[in-house]
Amino acid sequence: MTDRGTPEAVIGPDPTKVRFLTPHMCRIHLGSHGALHVTVANERIYGGVYAAYAFPVAYPDKYIALIHSVGRGRDIEIGIIHDLNEFPPADADLVREALARRYFVHTITKLTSIGWKYGFIAVEAETDKGPVDFLMRWQYDRAVDYGQDGKVLIDVDENRYLIPDLRQLPPGELADLQRYIYW
Amino acid sequence: MLLNQPLPEDLGGLLRKEGIDPNLAWLCVQTDINLSGLYEPIYLLVLPERLTTVGQPGSNGQGVLRIDLKRADIKEFRTRQGVGGGFIDALVDGVYVEVLAYSNARADLFHKVAGKLKDWAENKEVSVTAEDDKNPRKCPVCGLTLEFPGDVCRRCVNRGAVFVRVLKLMRPYAGKAIIMMCLVLASIGISLIPQHLVRLLIDKVLAPEQAHNPALDPEQAKRWLLGLVGALFGTHLLGAVIGMFTGRLGSFVGTQVSYDMRSRVLNHLTRLEVAYYDRYNVGQLMARVAGDTEQMRGFVHQLTSGFLAQLIQLVVVGAMLFSLNWRLGFFTLLPAPLVFLAAMFFWKRIYPRFYRVWDANSKLHGTLNTILSGIRVVKAFGQERKEQDRFGVSSAYIRDSSRGVEYTVSAFNPAIGIIFQLGGLIVWYVGGQWVLQDKLLPGDYSGPRFTLGMLMQVLGYLWMFYGPLGSLTQLTSWLTQFLTATQRTFEILDTPVQIVEAKDAKRLPAPRGAIAFENVAFGYNRHEPILKNVSFEVRPGEHLGIVGKSGSGKTTLTNILARFYEVDEGRVLLDGADVREINLADLRRCVGIVLQEPFLFRGTIYANITYGRRDATPEEVMAAAKAANAHDFIMHHPLGYDTYIGERGAGLSGGERQRVSIARALLYDPPVLVLDEATSNVDTESEQLIQQALARVTAGRTTIAIAHRLSTLKNSDRIVVMDDGRIVEMGTHEELMVLGGLYHRLVKIQTELSREPSVDALVVEGKK
Repeated sequence: MTDRGTPEAVIGPDPTKVRFLTPHMCRIHLGSHGALHVTVANERIYGGVYAAYAFPVAYPDKYIALIHSVGRGRDIEIGIIHDLNEFPPADADLVREALARRYFVHTITKLTSIGWKYGFIAVEAETDKGPVDFLMRWQYDRAVDYGQDGKVLIDVDENRYLIPDLRQLPPGELADLQRYIYW
Repeated sequence: MLLNQPLPEDLGGLLRKEGIDPNLAWLCVQTDINLSGLYEPIYLLVLPERLTTVGQPGSNGQGVLRIDLKRADIKEFRTRQGVGGGFIDALVDGVYVEVLAYSNARADLFHKVAGKLKDWAENKEVSVTAEDDKNPRKCPVCGLTLEFPGDVCRRCVNRGAVFVRVLKLMRPYAGKAIIMMCLVLASIGISLIPQHLVRLLIDKVLAPEQAHNPALDPEQAKRWLLGLVGALFGTHLLGAVIGMFTGRLGSFVGTQVSYDMRSRVLNHLTRLEVAYYDRYNVGQLMARVAGDTEQMRGFVHQLTSGFLAQLIQLVVVGAMLFSLNWRLGFFTLLPAPLVFLAAMFFWKRIYPRFYRVWDANSKLHGTLNTILSGIRVVKAFGQERKEQDRFGVSSAYIRDSSRGVEYTVSAFNPAIGIIFQLGGLIVWYVGGQWVLQDKLLPGDYSGPRFTLGMLMQVLGYLWMFYGPLGSLTQLTSWLTQFLTATQRTFEILDTPVQIVEAKDAKRLPAPRGAIAFENVAFGYNRHEPILKNVSFEVRPGEHLGIVGKSGSGKTTLTNILARFYEVDEGRVLLDGADVREINLADLRRCVGIVLQEPFLFRGTIYANITYGRRDATPEEVMAAAKAANAHDFIMHHPLGYDTYIGERGAGLSGGERQRVSIARALLYDPPVLVLDEATSNVDTESEQLIQQALARVTAGRTTIAIAHRLSTLKNSDRIVVMDDGRIVEMGTHEELMVLGGLYHRLVKIQTELSREPSVDALVVEGKK
């Protein structure tokens, strides 16, 4: 059932409407070479699929789009998963893995130090991916709001470091951070 | 080499067990993350006929081989941007398979790898050379990612050299600067005199007996008193006069150096290519030109009355204190570390809180501006309450951040005052004891000879000593800020001008307007080509229409023609000469551009029309305006052509602005005219007027017109249809309609849409 022809031949769902994917109508599985596949009942198998959040801050486990690349820079949205928890755990885990691949973001667990160095803000921190130290430019667009109380720091390489909730930082770390990231 | 890194021995051994000889790999490169989005060194090996990714076995039960693909199975490669990183995907069996992931730190490297893989998949000859190691986005010394290719590395920049460069800027004013510094020294010297005069006044005139001096007779005492008070007045007067001259000289040198710097920066900015402005936003550059160059003035101020002057004062007064009485000098120094620490604490911990207050103020203004500017929308949607709440949040942010600062400062200031007083109190106590003992027990007293006048002198110097001490703690903070701002300014001056005129550039005295694109490839980002192997010719006087979807590369074609950007591959010819070999002024003189968003400058309409030809006569200006259908509306303004318009043409409607810009282009009279969506932002009536004007302007002139409304291109001699950076169709309107391709499809869509009644059309009809 997989379309083995040219990618351009793919015809997706109605692009003018949001289609919500439910466990009853689709199955998420791995295909050859570990590529994520989505089988939509009475439609087709979509290969080479990636996942993207619609509301990464407000609803991190909901409204997840599954997108199929058709080549030449064109992507079509297969549909949106309303709630990942409604899916069988194996399917949901595959989507979560796909999201983890797409969103390479370090979540800061401890701010070890922050200072001014070479005309940059130099940060040392512990993250979910291990200890990091990075330089970021002291500009508004390099520390952007993440929801109501979070911040995403963007370093000179465009790598991202998330502080989900500033209020959860110990007072000393928060004071250190706000000496530089005061906005 | 970056693209041919050695594979670790253990991985090589494991790979051989899988039947793969790593020595056959022509490309071996390490990425930093695995396909689960976790840090793990993964190697990509490309052999003549297969591609593999290799990692240490064991993690997640995976083997050494992560991906193993045969070249014959791969149709194409692509890079795909994620968030914080990206992927190289291979199209295998109609499905894009993720080959590897990389963090953004390695994005440039893997874009390069993807380019090699594309050639490899297409069976083209491909190799890895030392040239591939060059990455203009990385500092060649420390590897730090630069903001753009050719940027100055802030980590490696020699900050001492920055200082030297600043001093060099003052060279033209060296004479004045030397006089200024001499005056600063004189001023400090003079500031020491009053304390000495006070001492004399006390010990000689007011209380001579406590200093064991003979008492003066009343007449003598009056003369001394008058003389000393007069000397005090004279000293203060001299100090004031020197201060005035120092201030004037400082202001002259400071403002002049700032002026020079601003001029140099702006001159350089106007020479930099358009691509530079793609990298920086205008706001940032404005801050640099207006704000950072102003730091030069701050630097001169610091020399005359700031840190340098204070440092000298600190040393001179300290020396005076110790020479008067080393023991009291020592006591004076006792609270100095506390003064220093307190000031350090203030600048490090408290001062940054002011930033939050500034930020809070700017957010409040932003919120207020949004609410009041959009008050109609707020009322229309009944959201007054919500907006009041939103404003309340911003207002509370100011309240809380201001309180945070003011509570701390109100506690800090008395505390620092106590520390300052502490030094004075110690000197009062110890010095006072010496004065008393010397006075009461002159025979038994064995301590230092110390008079009341000396005590007052020491106390005077003490305050002169503590003042600069507190300020000097800000020296590092100021120095960092100054060097950073100055470095930012020098970065602009050091940015190489990429589009330079060739040596012996060809002149085009009588250009005909023949254009040829030969196999042109170009991308604003080299990894993402916008134009792919584009070739076409335009004859002198020919009208060429360009159509295509947004992002298909239409405007890029014209940017390349005007040499706002340099082609990556191929060449663009004007009258048979490569545009890179043509005198830049001649080239720009040849190509006139009318943009979708006409840009007018603040000034009169006359000045805007004559922008490209300052020598135009009023007759020529009116003729151009008449041809551009602009004359009539201009004459409706009370001041006619002398009407002042605001920034970006404020005060004129969109259609009027466009007609002024057409008049400007017409007066410039270029042999090649580019119309980039010139009528897409105006109402139907204005469009008609502009189309009439354009018909007159383009007659007999090589014209390249880009338009979404295909009806405006129908009469072009030829139409080029672009899709995804390539020319997919070319011909007359009739030929392309017969062809039944993309152009035909676009025309059909627009014909169907135009059947919908248009408000503009109704308005026009209503006026008839």
